[in-house]
Amino acid sequence: MRLPPVPGEWLDRSVDVSFSFEGKTYRGHAGDTISSALLAADAGILGRSFKYHRPRSVLSMANHDVNAVCQWGDRPNVRADVTRLQAGMDLAAVNTFGGLKSDKASVLGSLSRFLPVGFYYKSFHTKRLFPMWERLFRTLTGLGKVSFNTPHIRTAKRYGFCDVLVIGAGPSGLAAALAAAEQGAEVVVVDENARAGGSGGYVRGGFGPQAEQLADDPLTRVLAHPGVRLMTETYAAGYYADHWVALVGGDVLTKMRTKSVVVASGAYEQPAVFRNNDLPGIMLASAAQRLIYRYAVRPMQQAVVLTANQDGYRAALDLAAHGVEIVAVLDLRLSSTASEPELAVKARGIPVLPGHHIVEALPGANGKSVVGAIVAGRGKMRTLACDGILMSIGWAPAANLLYQAGTRMRYEQSLEQFVPDTLPPGVFACGRVNGVHTLSARRLDGQRAGSAAAAHAGFGDARVITVPAEMECPTHPWPIVAHPKGKNFVDFDEDLQLKDFENAVQEGFDNIELLKRFSTVGMGPSQGKHSNMNALRILARLTGREPQQVGTTTARPFFHPVPMSLLGGRGFSPERRTPLHARHEALGAQWMMASVWQRPEHYRLTDKDRQQCIREEAMAVRQNVGLIDVGTLGKLEVIGPQAAELLERVYISKYANLKVGMTRYAVMCDESGVVIDDGVVGRLAEDHFYFTTTTSGAATIYRELSRLNTMWRLDCGIVNHTGAFAAVNLAGPKSRALLSRLTSLDLSATAFPYLALREGVVAGIPARLMRVGFVGEWGYEIHVPANQGATLWDALMAAGKAFALRPFGVEAQRLLRLEKGHIIIGQDTDGLTNPFDVGLEWALKMDKPFFVGQRSLHVIGRQPRKQKLVGFVLDAQFNGSAPQECHLVIDCGEIAGRVTSIAWSPTLGCHIGLAFVRPELAETGTAIAIRLTDRSTVSATVARTPFYDPDNLKQKEPA
Amino acid sequence: MPWRLLRFATTKKHPEPRMFTEHAELKPSYDVVIIGGGGHGLAAAYYLGRDHGITNVAVLEKGYIGGGNTGRNTTIIRSNYLTPEGVKFYDESVNLWQDLSQEFDLNLFYANRGHFTLAHTDSALRTMRWRAEVNKHYGVDSEVVGPDFVKRAAPMINLSCGHAPILGALYHAPGSIARHDAVAWGYGRGADMRGAEIHQQTEVLGIDVRGGKVCGVQTSRGYIATDKVLCAVAGFTPRILDMVDIKTPITIHPLQAMVSEPLKPWLDPILVSGSLHIYVSQSARGELVMGASLDPYELHSTRSTLDFVEGLSAHMLDMFPFLSHVKVMRQWAGMADMTPDFAPIMGKTPIEGFYLDAGWGTWGFKATPVCGKTMAHTIATDTPHPLINGFSLDRFRNYSLTGEKGAASVGH
Amino acid sequence: MKIMTCPFNGPRPVSEFFYWGEIRPMPDPATCSDESWADYIFNRNGAPGVKQEWWCHIASNTWFIAERNTEKDLVLRTYLFEEEL
Repeated sequence: MRLPPVPGEWLDRSVDVSFSFEGKTYRGHAGDTISSALLAADAGILGRSFKYHRPRSVLSMANHDVNAVCQWGDRPNVRADVTRLQAGMDLAAVNTFGGLKSDKASVLGSLSRFLPVGFYYKSFHTKRLFPMWERLFRTLTGLGKVSFNTPHIRTAKRYGFCDVLVIGAGPSGLAAALAAAEQGAEVVVVDENARAGGSGGYVRGGFGPQAEQLADDPLTRVLAHPGVRLMTETYAAGYYADHWVALVGGDVLTKMRTKSVVVASGAYEQPAVFRNNDLPGIMLASAAQRLIYRYAVRPMQQAVVLTANQDGYRAALDLAAHGVEIVAVLDLRLSSTASEPELAVKARGIPVLPGHHIVEALPGANGKSVVGAIVAGRGKMRTLACDGILMSIGWAPAANLLYQAGTRMRYEQSLEQFVPDTLPPGVFACGRVNGVHTLSARRLDGQRAGSAAAAHAGFGDARVITVPAEMECPTHPWPIVAHPKGKNFVDFDEDLQLKDFENAVQEGFDNIELLKRFSTVGMGPSQGKHSNMNALRILARLTGREPQQVGTTTARPFFHPVPMSLLGGRGFSPERRTPLHARHEALGAQWMMASVWQRPEHYRLTDKDRQQCIREEAMAVRQNVGLIDVGTLGKLEVIGPQAAELLERVYISKYANLKVGMTRYAVMCDESGVVIDDGVVGRLAEDHFYFTTTTSGAATIYRELSRLNTMWRLDCGIVNHTGAFAAVNLAGPKSRALLSRLTSLDLSATAFPYLALREGVVAGIPARLMRVGFVGEWGYEIHVPANQGATLWDALMAAGKAFALRPFGVEAQRLLRLEKGHIIIGQDTDGLTNPFDVGLEWALKMDKPFFVGQRSLHVIGRQPRKQKLVGFVLDAQFNGSAPQECHLVIDCGEIAGRVTSIAWSPTLGCHIGLAFVRPELAETGTAIAIRLTDRSTVSATVARTPFYDPDNLKQKEPA
Repeated sequence: MPWRLLRFATTKKHPEPRMFTEHAELKPSYDVVIIGGGGHGLAAAYYLGRDHGITNVAVLEKGYIGGGNTGRNTTIIRSNYLTPEGVKFYDESVNLWQDLSQEFDLNLFYANRGHFTLAHTDSALRTMRWRAEVNKHYGVDSEVVGPDFVKRAAPMINLSCGHAPILGALYHAPGSIARHDAVAWGYGRGADMRGAEIHQQTEVLGIDVRGGKVCGVQTSRGYIATDKVLCAVAGFTPRILDMVDIKTPITIHPLQAMVSEPLKPWLDPILVSGSLHIYVSQSARGELVMGASLDPYELHSTRSTLDFVEGLSAHMLDMFPFLSHVKVMRQWAGMADMTPDFAPIMGKTPIEGFYLDAGWGTWGFKATPVCGKTMAHTIATDTPHPLINGFSLDRFRNYSLTGEKGAASVGH
Repeated sequence: MKIMTCPFNGPRPVSEFFYWGEIRPMPDPATCSDESWADYIFNRNGAPGVKQEWWCHIASNTWFIAERNTEKDLVLRTYLFEEEL
């Protein structure tokens, strides 16, 4: 029921908010949460429990009411207790079968005797029936539903920096923030609630804000301080190394780097365990106080308050002040210190029953409400009528972030609570999470922690502040009552009852981690915020140990679950494009990814299919001239007196004897002798080399060469020009004639022979040219500054018209190089291939003093060969379905190798390929059998490579 | 409802006995001491008893059983490896898995969901074909399928995956998931029933080696004599091997994972993408269980990082954009003992009586049954089981590595 | 995110860095046995501890040595190769 305006309420009563829940329309106010609006409207129950589908309502109003979770359109698992009401929300409770009111799955509650803890491990596992049972289990488990229509939401992330981050804007957090700011630190305070103030706002003891609060409102002072930034509706989701804290709020993830952290996250009020403690109307005292002071909702008419500390008395006063009849205050303690609130309760004539506990709560006829409680104490049992029960028996620290930061916690007997024992450097704790509960002491503790945190960040000195010890123990060590009929819930997420724990321990799960894993306690969406502590107490008692000995489970991120859209952010999938990208696009390139690069696979022609295009491109190179963008190659330069020495040490061939103006093929191995990269090394001067790497190897090779150069301290430097140069390969019998129109360089075979390197001007652009023969034709690799790449391309294309120039893509290049028998590192080699395997003995100069991999290759060279890369051809008449790359070579029923490359060669008129085979099959002319996907085999013949122009006549001046 | 559940309701007292006997003291000696009470160690104890009649066995566990990588992995079971050694070995494991629930009389939730390794590049597609062909050769059900097939099995998938369109996939029908903790409990209970002793909270402090032979183990609860020790400690392997001065290539890298809040079932198959660094399945509880690739640098800790959840979420949304509102509930990490060829190190060592079951990196859970079985054989007969010959420590002396890297780089 | 300090560029997020591994002195290939060479190639000091590791600040291509506790992930100091202070 909605109360008349309550001072300090978070509602804007001038704004009505209409929404629907389970098909019925309701009205709330701006500032309501879903739960508060529904309670204000007396809408009945809010949800169903996970296992037994028992009716549930508010428990905490603090973001762990896991049984009041809604489906909001395409949003699953929306927490009603904290989600701000929005106009037009169309809500339904999750995980019901046939609606919230008459959930058919509630039959499971009556079957609960058959379904003890871990029951699903004990049955349902016959091989035949398990799939059926699994389907049933899957249907029953899970909460909300995903909608496949939800768009990909991309959110930018924020990066924040501060000196001191204070987590929690309650009394201790605000005090900490002020103290730190006053020492000159730049402070950020975050709080998950819509407004700051924490329990200071809703634990009032009956009347307006507490007198001392009004006198000196820290929130006003915090808001006024220029050194403090307050972020409400923002929670610290996780603590990560070096004070990197994930803050989630306002639909954005802020990654906060701070110099020190003050954890003032407070404590979770803990439920008492008694039969039917889950009935709607039974809630934590703090939940009722939140409902009253934040949302002006009277949660009940007649309340029984179960307490074990002065907080419960304060709650009783708060309720009484807002028209709730307090039937009785049951105090679990036999005697108490007669605190101020307790005296005030008694003064109001409210019955106080010390040494009493609740044996069982009594459900109404429909099971959806509480109508009374059977209470016991001093040897007597009696029934109290009520429509609500408040539980205020103690606290568990909200220490999740402290654990994540590596804090060692200890169980403080005098408080019956875990408190920080050893905090990591730069991490501070204050308030309830630090075991300080009295309001005035919390403020002092906050000042102490804030001052120390500022000092750690380099602002002032840590003040010495003594925080008085608690006068009473705020938490009861055993708020748990057994009942022969059970339904005394310990974990509301997972519907775990007291006996489930007894049974689990009986079965040997008597370690806190094993208990968690077997019973699933704490594994639900609230991650044990209201169940872990009671579970620990139960385990301690069952095994005769102290809570300290039992220890806690590890608290992992997140504090509250975080939407993937916030974590994913805008999404970042970088790709690289060469300077010629737009040219390829205009020419109809079919793109493919080549490591991080986009490359034209082929150029599409409207009336031709992919194969035709590729073959035509290849034939253009063979017959006329083709142009391919090779700008993705790694392009490195090494300069200095010991440049040659560096190359000698990293490649398997020799480069010291390479003549200036010449290039040489280059293969690189790793230390274990595995082939990892290849390219071409060109010598520009005695002390100056320009060389290429594979596209995918560029970054790693440059990095590793830099490391080796650092370690070897050679007198040379390496420069990575990969992105700085555009590069094309102009290849084909007419390439020279074409190029001669654009350059004054002497292109005669004597002046610019095969494998030569020249610097000159092409189309007015300074260029480096290499006469390479990778595709098997006369050709030039031309490298120019990246910003002039397009100009060069255009000039070549324009001049090429007269020569029927065709641009060609990666596929045509693969075919052409295959005809030439050249290997592609990574395709014709794998992670274990050495130079001997792929016939690179000719390049391997074992007589060099040293190169990377040489010593290993000495050993490998003495071993028998396991495989050999060979060429093969299919019969020219073959017209079946051809083998594909990685089809296996089969010999005598066993795997004898695999195809690494295969293509139909338009030049040779048959299928050609490369394959690894066992050495005994490597002889030219050997018939090998290749098994296809459909298990049929194709016969092939081992053939000498190169398949095309074996004597390299194409590189010689025509006679 | 199965009749078996009736007994829970018909008895007043919970009718289940302890799964694991409590042992107050360590015995002075055992025939075999197994270091590590994870799935592998417990399985070895189980098969030593079941297959070889060796029951005077102690399993020493520093923490609690199944608390290491057994309880931290993403529970994917498959045998679609690349090398003949790998395929044969994991295939035997899958065979054992299929009957395990009934053998233990414990429901491991072994759920056959089908497993897709998605290819986003032509080179990935080539590797898929290689794996498929090797798999089929050894009778393992794998095939390369096109994007349309993937779409039929997971109609909600975004085939364009942001910038990395799915070109095809390796489909492995036997791919399954299981309830990981229960595997440790099943093996533990089975070993316990056969007489092996499980000692939790018992840390190994030293290994007594004399004249190249194992003589005993020093523990936090006293010395025990034994002439056979199995080391099955995953991320702690280098620490144990330091005690006996055995060198291996193993380095430790954290492997992280995360789960979403529970959702109603929508995803049946297990999906793995190398390019996007994703593997994902939906558990019986409805949580999406997600992992990515290894952390980039050595670390002996199970700390979590924010960049892991950020990167994985971004890639998950590339594949399943509609998960925008789905919340990540928890993240965690395990310590993976990585080898350079992504294959395990199993079998005998230069020290007589010291056996190794290590190098399980990111692929150990699925191998639990076959590791237990083959290590039990190796220990009982002092001869490596034929299925593990390719995994010996010697291979790093002989440059005869097992080329599993291509298959396992992100495939869990 | 973890912070790593590049000797040139100062403290930066660790995602800007490339980890290579522990420094391993190479035995003389000319004189060492096959066995000790294989040991150098494949075996690693896998146990946790304070290690000297090669790291590279990728953007500036700066290679340096980080002395790091590999159990606690604490970077004790970073310095340029052979410029140990």
